[in-house]
Amino acid sequence: MSASGAPTAFAAPAPRRPGALARLYGRRWGVLPPLTAVGMFAMIAGAVIAAPREIVEGEVQRLMYIHVPSAWSAYLSFTIVFVASIVVLWRRDMRWDAVARGAAAVGVLFTALTLATGAIWGRPIWGVYWTWDARLTATLVLLLIFSVYLLARSVAGPNDEQGARYAAVFAIIGFLDIPLIHMSVNWWRTLHPQPLIVRPLDRPALPGEMLLVLVISALAISLLALWLISLQAHAERLGQRAQSLQARIDRGERG
Amino acid sequence: MSAPAIETRGLTKRYGTLDVVRDVTIAVGPGSKTALTGANGAGKTTLLGMLATLIVPSAGEATVAGHPVQPPAPALRRRIGVLAHLPMVYEELSPWENLAFFARLYAVEGAAARAEELLRRVGLWARRHEPTHVFSRGQHQRLALARALLHAPDILLLDEPETGLDPEGVAVLDELVLRAPGLTVIAATHRLDHVASWSDGTVHLDRGQVVEDATRGSASGARAAATAGGAGEAQ
Amino acid sequence: MSATLAVLRKDLRLAWRDRSGWLSATAFAAISVLIYSFAFDLAAQPVRPLLPGVLWTTFLFAGIFAGAHSFQREAEQGTFDAMLLSPAPATAIYLGKALSHMLALLVIEVALLLLATILFSTALLTPDLALIVLVGTVGYVSLTTLLSTLGSRARARAVLLPALALPLLVPLLIAAVRATGASLGDPVGTAPWTLLLLVFGIWSSAGAALLFPLVVER
Repeated sequence: MSASGAPTAFAAPAPRRPGALARLYGRRWGVLPPLTAVGMFAMIAGAVIAAPREIVEGEVQRLMYIHVPSAWSAYLSFTIVFVASIVVLWRRDMRWDAVARGAAAVGVLFTALTLATGAIWGRPIWGVYWTWDARLTATLVLLLIFSVYLLARSVAGPNDEQGARYAAVFAIIGFLDIPLIHMSVNWWRTLHPQPLIVRPLDRPALPGEMLLVLVISALAISLLALWLISLQAHAERLGQRAQSLQARIDRGERG
Repeated sequence: MSAPAIETRGLTKRYGTLDVVRDVTIAVGPGSKTALTGANGAGKTTLLGMLATLIVPSAGEATVAGHPVQPPAPALRRRIGVLAHLPMVYEELSPWENLAFFARLYAVEGAAARAEELLRRVGLWARRHEPTHVFSRGQHQRLALARALLHAPDILLLDEPETGLDPEGVAVLDELVLRAPGLTVIAATHRLDHVASWSDGTVHLDRGQVVEDATRGSASGARAAATAGGAGEAQ
Repeated sequence: MSATLAVLRKDLRLAWRDRSGWLSATAFAAISVLIYSFAFDLAAQPVRPLLPGVLWTTFLFAGIFAGAHSFQREAEQGTFDAMLLSPAPATAIYLGKALSHMLALLVIEVALLLLATILFSTALLTPDLALIVLVGTVGYVSLTTLLSTLGSRARARAVLLPALALPLLVPLLIAAVRATGASLGDPVGTAPWTLLLLVFGIWSSAGAALLFPLVVER
């Protein structure tokens, strides 16, 4: 996919002077995949071979190296949705709508991955797949909010500017709702009898090697998330352009 | 020469890569009556929506009564009256209540007298306390006309004003709007037979672009020029 | 703000004229309390631990249906655009709609509390609970009024609005249920639930008032 030459869907009449960020974004296809690949190999090697076996929990503890970075990547993605949504409202630029949609999809994916790995880990350790722990509950609500965002955005067409603005407003409110959800769910659970076995999955005091592997995993999965977001955003862009072309054909225009 | 009542430069509304309205540059003098023609989907409604500040342009600029169309534009909105496809009145309210509500939104002074005057003109005075939903389509449109004129706008943006109007309604529209001296009117229409009788200029849109512009770029009051005589001042 | 008052008066008058929306919401609320009574066998069990949840889920569902109706009518008749065409600021229009929606919902809520007082012989019309219901309703209505605007043009709006609103309302629901429980004397811990409810109300009304003008721009 060449970044230059091909007419961009939103070519502005004024000459574009790409900033540092835009130049970096233009090179994303060359940069992100190799970095992600290296990171993923390092992560797998670290998590499976290098990291020591956890004494109490055993091998299943190694899920942490996917679980915790997935949660972080989900928050990273939703932060991107939030920022992109603000730009959609502010600049009316549908390119940012594509970014928001792409990031939301990837965020939902990683939220689901967080919940799934947590459940697989929870079964042997807690004895249950699911418990109404504060953090689990908040994550589930987050998954719901951004799934609904995707649903609401898909109800409107890819080039529906008003639909994009509506979805952006919803995403902004949803993102700003996160602290309130955390607060309410925390009080809701902690003030009630806790399951005896519940404790946070990522404990603060990690042995050195584990911490190192966790940091590597976090980097690798963040890169993966960014790469997926750029792919997904590009796919959304292509969807927008396809629909525009269709509309122009329907109208009897050429080119 | 007075300043144009409505002026656009490169006005564009883009959805995706589709320019619903593309690079429209027109100027309409105060007191002129312009017909906006073109097939369905030519961008007439979108152009009017941008002039009415309901739709934000993607590119270009426009001023109405000297105010840019960027919302919020309270000073601009006070000067324009809009008549659209939908009557834009509350079905469950009577004509009187409808006008009273919009008079409050527009902070119209002497609202009761103004509402009475308009309701008498559009022939709904006798039925002013009946709920609107019992009205015919034509009566709805006449009430819509009264609503559009309530705050005494001097610029009127009309979208297919004849549709749904009964003969009396067309007569009232002609008298109050299309032939009213001093009012600036842009009316989207596809009834070309009727256009010549009231307009003194035509803007023809095709796929969002102006293909023919026979407006008087500005006018100093006289409305004598007929369609053909209008000197296209804008490009 | 005179525009806000005008919209408020107009909407209350419309709510009264077109009672079907609010009457169905009221009927729905009353029926759902009965349904809950059968489902959870509230005749045989101690009702107090369940009552706050029953009340607030009913408020939430009833409010969503009624709120969507008003915006749908405005969108269909084009009167929403007519309001936006006026020089009145969008925030003033929003406030008028939110206030009218809130007043109508409060009427339903009081009626429902009265019904529950009789059915479950629990004193529910206390100043304590009135405050909780009021604060909760402010937060609830500010958010759903904004979301109804989003939903009013979408095709799948009947389903979309509850799906949009309810996940965002989780903090409100938890806080309202716990605060109501506390006022009924349930052991719900010491967390400042009414405060959280208040924070949610301020958060949602400030956010909605800021975002509404952006939502209505096309």
